[in-house]
Amino acid sequence: MPKRDERGTTVTEPKGSALYEVLKGIDFERRELVDKSRGVGLFDLVKDKGGSYKCYACTLCERTCPVDCIEIDYCPEFEELPFDREAERALALATLPGESCGANAACVMGEKPAGFVPEIDMKLFDPVVAGIRGGTGLVEALHATQDAYGYLPRMALEEIAGEMHLPFSRVFGVASFYAQFRLTPVGKHVISVCMGTACHVAGAPLVAEAFSQELDIPVGGTTPDLLFTLETVNCIGACALAPAVRVGEEVTHARMTPQAARKLVAQLRKKEA
Amino acid sequence: MAAARTGTARQTRIKKALKAALRPELATGSDKSVKIRVCAGSTCNATGRAAVSDALAKELDKRSLSDTVEVVLTGCHGLCQEGPIAVVHPKGVFYPRLKARDMAEIVETSVVGDDVVERLLYRDPATGEAIALEKDVPFYAGQTRVVRKLNGTIDPTSIDDYLSRGGYAALAKVLGEDAPEAVIDLVEAAGLRGRGGAGFPTGTKWRYCRANPGEKHYIIANGDEGDPGAFMDRAILEDNPHSLVEGMLIGAFAIGADEGYVYVRHEYPLAVSRLRHALEQARERGLLGEDILGTGWKFDLKINQGAGAFVCGESTALTASIEGHRGMPRGKHIRTVAHGLWQQPTDLNNVETFANVPWIVTNGADAFRALGTEGSKGTKIFSLAGKARNSGLVEVPMGATLREVIFDVGGGMQEGREFKAVQLGGPSGGCLPAELLDTPIDFENLTRYGSMMGSGGMVVVDDTTCMVDFAKFFFEFTAQESCGKCVPCRIGTQRVLEILERIAAGEGTEHDVELLEQLSDDIIEGSLCQLGGSAPNPVLTTLRYFRDEVMAHVVEKRCPAKVCRPLIKYTIDPDACNGCHACFGACPTNAISGERKQLHTIDQKLCIKCDTCRQVCKFDAVPVVDAQPALVEGRAQ
Repeated sequence: MPKRDERGTTVTEPKGSALYEVLKGIDFERRELVDKSRGVGLFDLVKDKGGSYKCYACTLCERTCPVDCIEIDYCPEFEELPFDREAERALALATLPGESCGANAACVMGEKPAGFVPEIDMKLFDPVVAGIRGGTGLVEALHATQDAYGYLPRMALEEIAGEMHLPFSRVFGVASFYAQFRLTPVGKHVISVCMGTACHVAGAPLVAEAFSQELDIPVGGTTPDLLFTLETVNCIGACALAPAVRVGEEVTHARMTPQAARKLVAQLRKKEA
Repeated sequence: MAAARTGTARQTRIKKALKAALRPELATGSDKSVKIRVCAGSTCNATGRAAVSDALAKELDKRSLSDTVEVVLTGCHGLCQEGPIAVVHPKGVFYPRLKARDMAEIVETSVVGDDVVERLLYRDPATGEAIALEKDVPFYAGQTRVVRKLNGTIDPTSIDDYLSRGGYAALAKVLGEDAPEAVIDLVEAAGLRGRGGAGFPTGTKWRYCRANPGEKHYIIANGDEGDPGAFMDRAILEDNPHSLVEGMLIGAFAIGADEGYVYVRHEYPLAVSRLRHALEQARERGLLGEDILGTGWKFDLKINQGAGAFVCGESTALTASIEGHRGMPRGKHIRTVAHGLWQQPTDLNNVETFANVPWIVTNGADAFRALGTEGSKGTKIFSLAGKARNSGLVEVPMGATLREVIFDVGGGMQEGREFKAVQLGGPSGGCLPAELLDTPIDFENLTRYGSMMGSGGMVVVDDTTCMVDFAKFFFEFTAQESCGKCVPCRIGTQRVLEILERIAAGEGTEHDVELLEQLSDDIIEGSLCQLGGSAPNPVLTTLRYFRDEVMAHVVEKRCPAKVCRPLIKYTIDPDACNGCHACFGACPTNAISGERKQLHTIDQKLCIKCDTCRQVCKFDAVPVVDAQPALVEGRAQ
C-alpha cells in the first residue's frame, strides 16, 4: 500500500526504494564536455545478451550521418572478430583528425588536440565574398569556394555561414548533400571514372577497380602523397567514348581498359617523379 | 482599324530592332566561298579536335588561303563515334576520324582541288562502300532534324550565326503580335509535350502557370540531365544555346515571367561556359535584359549550376536547390505552377522542350502536328550509346520504331555482336527485349511496356551484358542518389540492391525473386517523388522480359552472360594457348604461371577475375566458364 499525503497523492519513499538504488550511483552534477573540438570517434557494435550483434544493417546511420563517415557493407557471414579497442584507438589517433571529420561532433577522443583546423589562404576567398554580396546563391558560393581551394575547407564554410547569415549546420548540410562537393583536400590529379550506363556495359567497373588497386586507395580516396584522388562520376555525357576516364578538368581518355588504366597511373607517376 | 495600325507599327519597330541586333559581318561564311566545318563538340574535343583544327589552320596559312577559306568550329555533328569530324563545303564532303597529319592532304585535294580523299572517307559499315557527302551518310539520312537543325552548321559562340539563319525571328513575331494567350494556344494546339520524361502537355502547364496569381512568375529550364547515358540537353546547350534562350523568352512572355533560371549540371563545364557567353551576347544586342527589342518588356536569365545530385532533376528538388537548400523534393499536392521557386508560380520545362518552341512559332502548329503519332507530336532526340555501331545523337519523329533508330540510323550492332536489349530512360526506365524492336516510340507505348521515355537515353546492350548485373547497376545508382527524405525510397532501394547482390552472388532463392516484385510495388506506391516512383522499373522489366536469366542465377547458380564474378572463373584453353606470355605480363596479381611457348595456367586462388588476361589475349585462349559446372550439369541430366 503506497503512502499518501493529506491531498491523497502518492508519496515516493526517498530512500530504500528500487529506483533510489539505481539512481544513487549517478552523479547528476552539471558537467561540460572536456573538449568540444572535432575529433575522430570510434564505432563499436553492441551485442545483445545472446552475444550476437544488435545491428541489423538498416543503414539509417549511414544515411543520416552528416559527414558520410559510416559505410555499411552487406556481409552475409559476419565474422565476429575480437575487437581490439586499444589498437583501433591508436590507429584513429595516428590519422590526422581535423579535416577527417567535418562535424563539430561530441565524439571526443581526448588526448590529442583534435580541434586542429588547417590554415587556409583567405585571399583566395575574396571572390566568394564578392559573389555572395553580389547575390549568388549558397550552391554557387560553394562552387566558387571549391574552385578556389579544390575542396571545401571548414574555415571557408564558417565564413560563408557568417557572410550569408545562415547557421553553420545549414551550410554544412548543403555541402554534404551534393556529391560534387569535397570536404577533404584532393590530390593533384583527380581521376574521375565515368560510371554512366554506356560506360558500365563497356566495362567501367573493371577500370575503376584497376585504378583502385594500382593506386591502393578506395574509390573516393586520396593517396597519402596527395598526388591522386580517385572518384567516380555518374555520367560525363561522353558515351561514344565508353568507358571514359577524365583526369582533371580537361583531359578525357577514351575507351579505357584495366590495363590502360594501370599504364596511365604509371605514366602519371613517372611524370611526377 | 486603329488597333491594326498600331499593331503594324509595333511589328515594324520590333523587326527593325531585330535587324539592328544582327551584325552580318561577324556571321561566319558571309563572303567566303569555301568553308570547313570542324566539329567542336565535347566528344570530338576529347578525341583530338584541337590538334586537327590547329593543323588545318597552319596548312591554310602556309598556302595563304586563310582569307578565302573559313574554318568554323561548330557544335556537335551528332556522330560522336567517328570524331573528330570535319565537313568541307560547299559540296559537303564528310571526313571522320581525322588525324592532324591528314589535314594537308584534305586541303590539297578538297579545298584547292575539287576532289575527295578516298582513303579518309566514311565507310558504310554494312556494305563497306565509301560515302563522300555528309547528307548521304545513313546516320544523317535517317534523321529528321527540327531541334538540331542548325547544330553542326553554326558556330555556337556566335549570336550572328544564329541571327543570320532566322534566329530570334520567332521571338520578334511573338512580341509583335503581343498576345501571350495566343502563344499558349499555339503551343497547346501543336501538342508539344514535356521532353524531360513525363510528357506533360507544355501549353497546359503554361496556361496554369499564367493563371496562378503571384507577386512574380518564374521560368526555369531544367538542364540537370542526370540520367546516365543521356546527353541531349548538353548538346543543345553546347551547340545552339540561343535556341534555348529564344524558347525561354517566348515562354516567359507567354506566362508573364520576368526572371528565369537555367539549371545546368556541373559535369558539363563546356555547356556552362557557352551558355554564359550566349547570355552575354544576347544582353549586349538587346535581346535579353531591360527593354527587349525596343518593346519595353524586360526579362533576364541566370545560370544555376547543379552539384552532382540526380534528384535535382525533379522539379521541386530543383527549386529547392536554386534556393540554396539540400535538393530534396516535396509532396506534389502543391504544384510548382502555383507555388514553385520562392513560393511563386513557376514554370519548369526541359531544355529540349524550350528548344522546340521557336520552331513551332515559326512553322505553325500544323507543321509540328504533322510529325509524330496520335498522342506524341514532333520529334525527339535520343542519345544512342552502348553496343550500337554508331554512338551519338539521333533526332527522329515520334513514332519511329526502335529498330529504325538502332539498326537504320545507328548502323546496327557492333561487329559480331548480337542484340539483347535496349535500355530506355535511364534509371527510371526499363530494358526492352528484341521482340519489342518494332514498337513505335512514343510516351504511351514505352510506358505500356514498362519502360519510359525519360530524357531520351537509349543504351543498347549485347549478349555480354548480364541483365541481373545491369539491374543491379541501376539500383546502385538510385540507392546512392536517393535523397533520403522518404522511407520507401531510402530503405527500399537499399533492400532491393541487397537482394540483387545476393542473386548476382549465386545466393538468391526463389523467394528473393518474389520479394523483389513485392518490394518494387511498395516502392512505387509509397515514394514521395518520381525518383522512387520509377526506380524499380529496371528490375520489373528485367523480371518481365529476362526472367530466364534471373532464374539461371537463382536455380542453376550460373550467369549466362559470364559477368557475375562469384559464378564464373577464368581458365586457359589448352588448345588455343600458344604461350605468348601476354597474359603473364598483364596479370596484376601474378596468378598466371607458365614458361614462354608453354601452356599457361591460372591459379584460381590468386585470380581476382579482373578480366585483364581475357582482354590482352589475341588468340581467345582465356574462356570464361561457370564456376560450378557440376551443378549446372547435374540440373541438365
